[in-house]
Amino acid sequence: MPRFLSVVPLVFVVAASCGAPAPAPAAETTSKVGGSVTFVAMTDPDTLDLHQTSNPVSSTIFGWIYEPLVYQDLDNSYKGLLAESWTVSPDSKTITFKLRGGITFTDGSPFNAEAVKFTFERLQRLGAKSPIFETFKNVTSMEAKDDLTFVMNMKDPYAPIFHDLQVSYAGILSPKTVRAANDNISRTAIGTGPYSLKEFQTGQQITLERNPGYKWAPALYQNRGAPYVQELRYRVIAEPATQLAALDAGEVDVLGLRAQDLAKYANDARFRVYDSFTFGLTYLGFDAKRPPFDNAKLRAALARAVNKAEIVQVVFENKLAKAQCCPIAESIQGYDTRLKEFELTFDPARAKAELEALGYKAGADGLRTMPDGKPFKPVLYTTTSDTHGKIATLLQAQLKGVGVDLQVKQLESGALLAATPKAEHDLYLNGYSWNEPDMFSLFLSCDRVTSSNRVLYCNGDLEKLIKAGRTELDQARRMQIYYDAQKLTMQEAPWQPLYMPVSKTAVNAKVLDLKQGQAGGLYWHDAWVKK
Amino acid sequence: MFRYVLRRLMLAVPVLLGVSICVFLMASLVPGDPATVLAGDTASAEQVERIRRDLGLDQPIPIQYLRFLERLAHGSLGESTRTHREVLLEIADRFPYTLALALGAVVVSTILGIAMGIFAAVRRGRAADYLTMGIAIVGLSVPTFWIALLGIIVFSLNLHWLPVTGARSPQSYILPIFALSLHSAAVKARITRSSMLEVFGQDYLRTARAKGLRERVVLLRHALKNALIPISTIIGLQFGSLLGGAFIIETIFGWPGIGRLAVQAIFNRDFPLIQGTVLVGAVTYMLANLAVDIVYAWLDPRIRYS
Repeated sequence: MPRFLSVVPLVFVVAASCGAPAPAPAAETTSKVGGSVTFVAMTDPDTLDLHQTSNPVSSTIFGWIYEPLVYQDLDNSYKGLLAESWTVSPDSKTITFKLRGGITFTDGSPFNAEAVKFTFERLQRLGAKSPIFETFKNVTSMEAKDDLTFVMNMKDPYAPIFHDLQVSYAGILSPKTVRAANDNISRTAIGTGPYSLKEFQTGQQITLERNPGYKWAPALYQNRGAPYVQELRYRVIAEPATQLAALDAGEVDVLGLRAQDLAKYANDARFRVYDSFTFGLTYLGFDAKRPPFDNAKLRAALARAVNKAEIVQVVFENKLAKAQCCPIAESIQGYDTRLKEFELTFDPARAKAELEALGYKAGADGLRTMPDGKPFKPVLYTTTSDTHGKIATLLQAQLKGVGVDLQVKQLESGALLAATPKAEHDLYLNGYSWNEPDMFSLFLSCDRVTSSNRVLYCNGDLEKLIKAGRTELDQARRMQIYYDAQKLTMQEAPWQPLYMPVSKTAVNAKVLDLKQGQAGGLYWHDAWVKK
Repeated sequence: MFRYVLRRLMLAVPVLLGVSICVFLMASLVPGDPATVLAGDTASAEQVERIRRDLGLDQPIPIQYLRFLERLAHGSLGESTRTHREVLLEIADRFPYTLALALGAVVVSTILGIAMGIFAAVRRGRAADYLTMGIAIVGLSVPTFWIALLGIIVFSLNLHWLPVTGARSPQSYILPIFALSLHSAAVKARITRSSMLEVFGQDYLRTARAKGLRERVVLLRHALKNALIPISTIIGLQFGSLLGGAFIIETIFGWPGIGRLAVQAIFNRDFPLIQGTVLVGAVTYMLANLAVDIVYAWLDPRIRYS
């Protein structure tokens, strides 16, 4: 038995054998078909080329059109979607996928191992902008052993591989369409998914149409055939006030709500409001590379001046966020309540004492100076988002409480992404969103101090843990590694974790039978529209 | 006249070159580049570097500019770094919507503004004059976005007459055009009133009345035609700013226009697209002003271009 399977039994699942419920009577099924659901997109998708974007709007659209080999079930375990099953070699470096037969792309061509190989090789060739590009750099060769057997060889064992294979960017393309389009698929999208692209009106709307030939929906759904909703539309509306007006006017059916709009929609019979956790959290970071915040004691002292409960209450009215103790958010595998004892909890008296001890003395105006006598005015960098602006203002007040005069600089995302690798900032307020404990390697590893590690924190011990966590396939041992990594991070305090955003989505009451996952994600395949 | 127009068009070339150099320099001074934005917040430094190389951003600025000129000579503004589509294609998708909005707003605001201006001028000093000019002051002072949101609340949410967003039906043009027109209608009303009042004092009007012409003819053919010169200047200038300044209205109404495209391009550091939208804006602005200069000659036969 391959090692991997002994510890993650759920991944070896043949979805088709999972005991699908008896199909609904034909008359009922037909009556559910039809209607449309309209979503909001902040912007156009930049491109529909699966391998040339990391854009969230594109990713959402891909989720309907393309299907990956595996999917994440309601309980967050990985199961086969286009793959029927898989085995992992004893050295954990080779994965052999047995693919599902009888599946066709919406251009009529068959889905097979050749298509999988074609897709992933294209990703290796053109995918520099794809979030899973780095994952496939570890893949040394791929082979279509027979029509329905696909083999993937990796340089090193890589534990988060199934996470990376289930994201919508890992969907399988139709080689026929891609070849016919000469690799230019920025406006074409042909997959095996429940929907196909009907129309792309730049700057206005993307329309998706039900794929009537779809009959391989995952076992988590009652409906294993084609979806009921005839058309899905993504309407481009950037302005929040207009989005709300469109929801009220019935032009839009699904919308994420802000704290200030919650009260209005919670009691409105025209809508249902769904809660869901997000897979990530927002943290206050310290530029750990440059003095004075290369000093862990100073970072810890400031972290103790932060009142997370107040942030969650004032900015989110205790509804749209939950305070977090630890670097891995509670919605993500690896979260461990035992870590709470290491949390740098709000304790202004202790923060003051620690600052005093470090030589940051308070002057006559109550504000502290650095040990060399210069005024202590650390600068916080954050995005231009309204939420981050409010939190930054609150942090200013909280730090002032311990005599620290925090300066705030809000930069739009392009400028912010460029500023942090140059270590222009002292403090950094932003979030991450990555449903894998391996988020450590993206946001806190030495390899990434010039890119996605925005706090430029590099610690040899943590680095060893991060490397171990990536290659350890034994689940229990892997979770222990992330326990240690989190403990170390909490003691060293390059981050003070603040909160996990909770999203509230209003859905028009005409939509029935929507399913929710453990973390609250919405699953649409059983949903239908009341006529 | 023909030679004048030709000369003006030739003069446009150095102006546009100047504009493109300015845009290029400004874009390169802004912190962040397309590669960092495209790669997103989880990308490695190596990934960013690779995208930068693919886009030719590792070259010195003058070389990048020369490449841009080379492409321009071949009739191409390059590819959008975000969508990989020809910039001209991206603009062609969006420009008609903005043009329709701007033309609609120019027509509505001109008719409304001139009518209000004449009405106020002939009733100078009376209550109707103060009332009309009061309305104009309100139109000038109230922010466009507020009018737009108010329009949505009243006409879309309460009365259900008009759609909230998009440009899918003729009805969807009404609110954006109206919201965009108010401010410029107010400007035109005030200018029409004052230039009409100036013309009212002229001898040729007394002559026209003495000839026994009807008051309507005196007003429209003699007074208005002469008062139109400053108004036509304003129309030309406003047309340019309506094209470029429709951004807020486009954002509020989810309008697929060029203003939103340009602002998105700036956020994405999509240099070719920024360059393209600015150049298109500059060209339309220049053409609008050229058109105004030609209209001058028609309005006032004393004006001759050579």
